[in-house]
Parts: sequence; C-alpha cells; structure tokens
Amino acid sequence: MDNALEFMFAGFAVFWAGLFVYLLILQQRIRSLNEQILLLRERLKGITLNDNSD
Amino acid sequence: MTSIKITILELGNWFLQPLWHSRWIILPVITSICVMAMLIGAVIAAPREIIEGDVQRLMYIHVPSAIISYLAFGITAVASAILLINGKLYWDAIARASAGIGLLLTFFALSTGAIWGKPIWGIYWTWDARLTTTLVLFLIYSSYLLVRNLGNANDTRAARYAAIVGLIGYLDIPLIHFSVDWWRTLHPQRIVFDIRPSLPTEMLIVLGIAFLAVLSLVLWLILLSATTEYLHQQVGKLSGDLDQMES
Repeated sequence: MDNALEFMFAGFAVFWAGLFVYLLILQQRIRSLNEQILLLRERLKGITLNDNSD
Repeated sequence: MTSIKITILELGNWFLQPLWHSRWIILPVITSICVMAMLIGAVIAAPREIIEGDVQRLMYIHVPSAIISYLAFGITAVASAILLINGKLYWDAIARASAGIGLLLTFFALSTGAIWGKPIWGIYWTWDARLTTTLVLFLIYSSYLLVRNLGNANDTRAARYAAIVGLIGYLDIPLIHFSVDWWRTLHPQRIVFDIRPSLPTEMLIVLGIAFLAVLSLVLWLILLSATTEYLHQQVGKLSGDLDQMES
C-alpha cells in the first residue's frame, strides 16, 4: 500500500470531475431554457404586432 | 387555540418566506462552506487509519454519497407515486431532478469504492452482493432517465412510464442495505448506522460534516435542477398554446 496516497487523490479527483461534468450539463440545460424563452418572447412580440396592425 | 395556530403560521411565514426568497444565495454559500470543511476535515483533520492508511479518507466521500443517494432516489419514488396518483407534471420535474442527483451520487459511491478497493482488496471490482446491487440501482435509474427522455418535457405518458420505473427501482435499496447481512460479502459490515458505531469520535465528527456537505449540495442541486425542468415544462406548454393561436 505504498502508493495509497495516489488512490486517495484519484478518489477526490473523481468527485470533483463528476461534479464539474454535472454542473456543465445543468448549465447547458439552463442555456437551452434561456434560448427557448427568447424565442417565445420573439413570437409573442410578433403576435402582438399583428394584433395591433389588425 | 385558533389564534395560537394563526400566530404559529405567521411566525412560520415570517421565518420561511425570506429563507425561500434568498435560497439561491443561502444554499450555495452553505454548500461551499460545508464542502470546504469536509475537504479539510477529510484530508487534514481526520486521523490516519492505521491499517488502511490514507486511502481510507475516501470514506468521507464514499459513505455519505451512498447513503444520501438513497434519499435522492426516495424523493424520486415519492414524487413518482404522487405523479401516478394526481398526474401533475411538476412532480415529474422533482422526480427527474432527484434521479439525476441520485445517479451522480451512486457514481461517486461506485467509483470511490473501486478506487478504495484496489489497494485494500487488490482489485477494483468484484461481483460481490453489495457492489452488484448498487450497480443494478445505477442501471435502473439510468433507464428511468432514458425512458423519461424518450418524450418531451410535457409528455404525460413518458412521465407516467418513467414514474413506474422510478417507483419499482426503489425496491433495490433495501436489498443493497441488507446485502451485507444476507450474503457473505467482501464489502465491510455497517460501521456508521449501527447501535454502537465502530469509528473513533474524530472520524465520526468529520463524517458528520461530510454528510452535511453532501446533503446541502444535493438539496441545492435538486432545487436548481427541478426548477429548470419545471420551467422547461412551462415554456413547452406556452409554446404549444402559441402554436394553437397561430394556426
């Protein structure tokens, strides 16, 4: 067990790497939500403009 | 009696409302402090185990991840059951979010366990009852998320099918928990959740901090992820309504 310290660091590295990847996936999901909201806002603006012109 | 009830409710609102409004500030701050305390405790403050050496410090990630994953999957199971009863899709958002976090924690438990096992057992993996049932849990909830992702955010049928998987999958957890009693396994017996924990007090304190850290991290991430899923549902619904208006 001379190199057990390396295993300890590997374990902690897995924890941080896993957390980082999860947060990255979550960030992507939030970004796609933002894009959908922007798209929705544009469509709503279009509908409102059409209603006013009628 | 009624006035006492109202006062208690008012006090509750007075205390809980500001807490709820500032959740996106409070939760990350508490989580950061607890995770830093856990790391310092695990790597520096906790005593070095005589037989296993420094690699035993992985216990401070491995054990809380494994136990709190049961809680996350428990939330999935309860939310799935409620969804099956009342059909309200925000329960699906909660179930999905907690299943994702549960999977992350199970991944931590499996991978840190494998890394811990190599210097102690001489192997990364063995088809031991505890390890195998935990892997089965990981696969069940991976399939839960796969089933759920077959439909879009507002697909009620996909949500119901996934809820059945989420509910049945929870049956694996008692199997994991009692596997060390029912079968002869390489995995050690329970050392924390026992009548008399067999850990020294210093290690128990650091383990307690580690539990707090993982728990606050999980609460924060479940809340963030469930809110995102719920907003996806709402945006999808609004988009559908607009499609109808335009056509």
